[in-house]
Amino acid sequence: MLKFILRRTLIMIPQLLVLSLIIFLLAKAMPGDAVTSSFMSNPNVTPEQMEKMREKLGLNDSWYVQYGHWVGNAVQGDFGQSFTHKQPVTSLLAGRVGNTLLLSTGILIVTYIIAIPLGIIAGRWTDSWADKLIVTYNYFAFATPLFVFSLLMLFLFSFILGWTPIGGSVDIRIETGSFDYIVSKVKHLILPVMSGALLATFGTIQYLRNDIIDTKLKDFVKTARAKGVPESKVYTRHILRNSLLPIAAFLGYEITGLIAGSIFLEMIFSYPGLGQLFIQSVMGRDFTVVTALVMISGTAAIVGTMLSDIILSIVDPRIRID
Amino acid sequence: MVVFNEKELMAKEKMNTPSFVKTIWREIRNDKMALGSLILLTLILLAAYLSPLFIDQTALTRVNFFNNWKPPSADNWLGTDDGGRDVLGQLLLGTRNSFTIGLSVTLIAGVFGLTVGLIAGFYGGIVDNIIMRIIDFLMVLPSLMIIIIFVVSVPKYTIFGFILIVSAFAWFGKARLIRSRALAERELDYINASKTLGTPSWKIMFFELFPNLSSLVIVNMTLTLAGNIGLETGLTFLGFGLPAGTPSLGTLISYARNPDIVQNKWWVWLPAALLILVMMLCINYVGQAVKRASDARQRLA
Amino acid sequence: MSLLKVNKLKVHYPIRGGFLRRVVDQVRAVDGVSFELEPGETYGLVGESGCGKTTTGRAIIGLNKATEGEMLFEGNDLAKLRGSDRRQHTKDIQMIFQDPYSSLNVRKNVLNIISEPLRNFERMSPGEELKRVQTLIERVGLNPESIYKYPHQFSGGQRQRIGIARALTLNPKLIIADEPVSALDVSVQAQVLNFMQEIQKEFNLTYLFISHDLGIIQHMCDRIGIMYKGRFVEEGTAADVYNNPQHLYTKRLIAAIPEMNPEKRFEKTHLRQSINEAYRTDYDSYFDKDGRMFDLKRVSDTHSVALQ
Repeated sequence: MLKFILRRTLIMIPQLLVLSLIIFLLAKAMPGDAVTSSFMSNPNVTPEQMEKMREKLGLNDSWYVQYGHWVGNAVQGDFGQSFTHKQPVTSLLAGRVGNTLLLSTGILIVTYIIAIPLGIIAGRWTDSWADKLIVTYNYFAFATPLFVFSLLMLFLFSFILGWTPIGGSVDIRIETGSFDYIVSKVKHLILPVMSGALLATFGTIQYLRNDIIDTKLKDFVKTARAKGVPESKVYTRHILRNSLLPIAAFLGYEITGLIAGSIFLEMIFSYPGLGQLFIQSVMGRDFTVVTALVMISGTAAIVGTMLSDIILSIVDPRIRID
Repeated sequence: MVVFNEKELMAKEKMNTPSFVKTIWREIRNDKMALGSLILLTLILLAAYLSPLFIDQTALTRVNFFNNWKPPSADNWLGTDDGGRDVLGQLLLGTRNSFTIGLSVTLIAGVFGLTVGLIAGFYGGIVDNIIMRIIDFLMVLPSLMIIIIFVVSVPKYTIFGFILIVSAFAWFGKARLIRSRALAERELDYINASKTLGTPSWKIMFFELFPNLSSLVIVNMTLTLAGNIGLETGLTFLGFGLPAGTPSLGTLISYARNPDIVQNKWWVWLPAALLILVMMLCINYVGQAVKRASDARQRLA
Repeated sequence: MSLLKVNKLKVHYPIRGGFLRRVVDQVRAVDGVSFELEPGETYGLVGESGCGKTTTGRAIIGLNKATEGEMLFEGNDLAKLRGSDRRQHTKDIQMIFQDPYSSLNVRKNVLNIISEPLRNFERMSPGEELKRVQTLIERVGLNPESIYKYPHQFSGGQRQRIGIARALTLNPKLIIADEPVSALDVSVQAQVLNFMQEIQKEFNLTYLFISHDLGIIQHMCDRIGIMYKGRFVEEGTAADVYNNPQHLYTKRLIAAIPEMNPEKRFEKTHLRQSINEAYRTDYDSYFDKDGRMFDLKRVSDTHSVALQ
């Protein structure tokens, strides 16, 4: 067990190294560099001045020296300066990360609130009208692209019905920290969270439904019934205990999907989080911000997957092959 | 030796073993939703691919500011956009582009994923281990972000470049799927038999192993086709998709990044959004039918 | 000269463990096996499941890698040959597989199954190929019209005949038959076995016959090797082994054959009990301290036993 955890953790190190190398080389491949993007709007800067600036910033060193600097600083939490925002990347991200975390946790919570009961109902009463309805809904959730669905939600609820705000994360006229402030935040969150969660239910519902249907037919469940255990207890004690545990472990695997989702959701609902910042920075060629964002997202996904693997191996010993 | 008409015999035996295509057709015919989806999808695609016959392409790209933001009318059934261009025409052209690109990505990623999966599954051992470690890593990458960075860094950006970039991130899952089935399949004796008969490994992979996995591949391809169309339109929507001048369904929807257009000029983006939704649902419905057909075939074999 | 001479063949699989997955031990699937096949004979390898008989056969045909030892086929060591040199002997050594269901590709018709080796080794026009396949399929007793059928349209016995036809296509000298009838109905087993004997004479084949069924081995084989835990226990002609078993393990095996004659049943029970008694008391003189077999020792011209 301990061996598995240790080995799984060690695999992370080369993964993170390769990730950082890929991102660094990608950033190098992007057109222009830190100097050109910071002086883009200033026609008075001469090529000589730009060259001097490059020398000073170390941009003329060989790539591996630069890579070493970048990784060394990044480990200490220093991702350099944003050129369009004229402030350290770290503080820029700090101002936004809360919103994205709020959005992502919101989506996760709502997803499970919807998916777990529906999955259990569909699995327990297979082929009932409720099951058919849930399967149909799940099929829509699988097939619908997130950005199309979010746009339609925005159009319907914000523009036609006017129930929810059109964009942003909070009404700026409200005083920070007041009760109204929190209400306003929640109001702004509802639509993006619902849009994300309604589609994200797919995997959990399908997993739960299939797993319950499989477990229902296992001999140990039949034995429990034969002993006279009441039907509701068969489910709570015997079936659900087995089927629900792995769901907790899938959390870490969701991170990759959440990152991609937050890009679309934040763009559509003009929600000031990391996803929106990413798109703005790519458009503004603000490479230090872009690399920092990809690096952080990648690290989150790698760590999340590792945690999921480990939790899953504790929950389900069959996975622990070494 | 008995004299017989071999062509006739061959045809007779082919009849006895229903092909996969026939099983799929039987499955779809018996499922009204799938049949409806297939018909609707065929109609949409026919309209999109035949549109150049009755739509003047140059008129479609000509900017006419006196005619911009016109709501639907007899002249322009779905109104016009900011440059006075006909939305319906762009919708058809966009459908064609989006579908072609989605299909190309599916095929390229499919062939690559299939090859990698077959190699990992057929050889097993260290080869499999190395390939799977790499795929595990690639799967956790924030691929949407990396695709976007690629799109802005490629110097001479073309449609083909876009297809390659997206394909490069679309094959992992397929390779993993094929690999796990191939690993199980290679333990069967017909693969050993081929080895003892002196058949080269690549031939065993593609002519012995692959036909036994083909229904799996077809099912997976239909289901990912929808996803790939969604990915292309999504990227185009964000502004990192097809090069300017190549309309996609995503191009029309990207007008909706402006709240004024979302609310007041819905005819520009809403039809495209609904069309994508309908296409995705249709493709998936057909895909589910294909999946059932392949499961049924598995039970028979 | 013997057709095949296997000399101290070993097939070991590493057991990996510990944090760095170093090799901590070996599974000795085949642990120093030597025997010779004369042209035209049938040599039987017998033993309980997991004794290494199948692994030996698969090592000879090249499906497993030999860890150590020689396999001299007409004087060439199969273990050392690589690439095209090894490929030349593919024609000479063929295999009949245990399971006639999984050994035929369900996606190919009989013509394509049987002509697969032809396409690898011979350049033939489609017409010649068709003719060749038809001759073979007729020889194994199937209707020549059935060459366009698919495997699922045949019974187990018929499928095994297709497998045999495929093995015969290249006119091999040695055929390794790995439990060729154990997946078939008893009624069909005899048919297939007799048929194998027929074609042995006709095509001048040498068989390495692998089985766990002592009755079948007795019926089919000229000489027999008994294996246990990757090593030979006893080797000799069928008569040597069945009538005069020397090793305790062999005695137990032979005693386990059910007795058909009810009058002798009581006698047999006694025999078994006495052998079991001997097994308990004399264990140490038959197995070394690790529970391994000793090396073979000659007891007559044809008969060898693993004794101290």
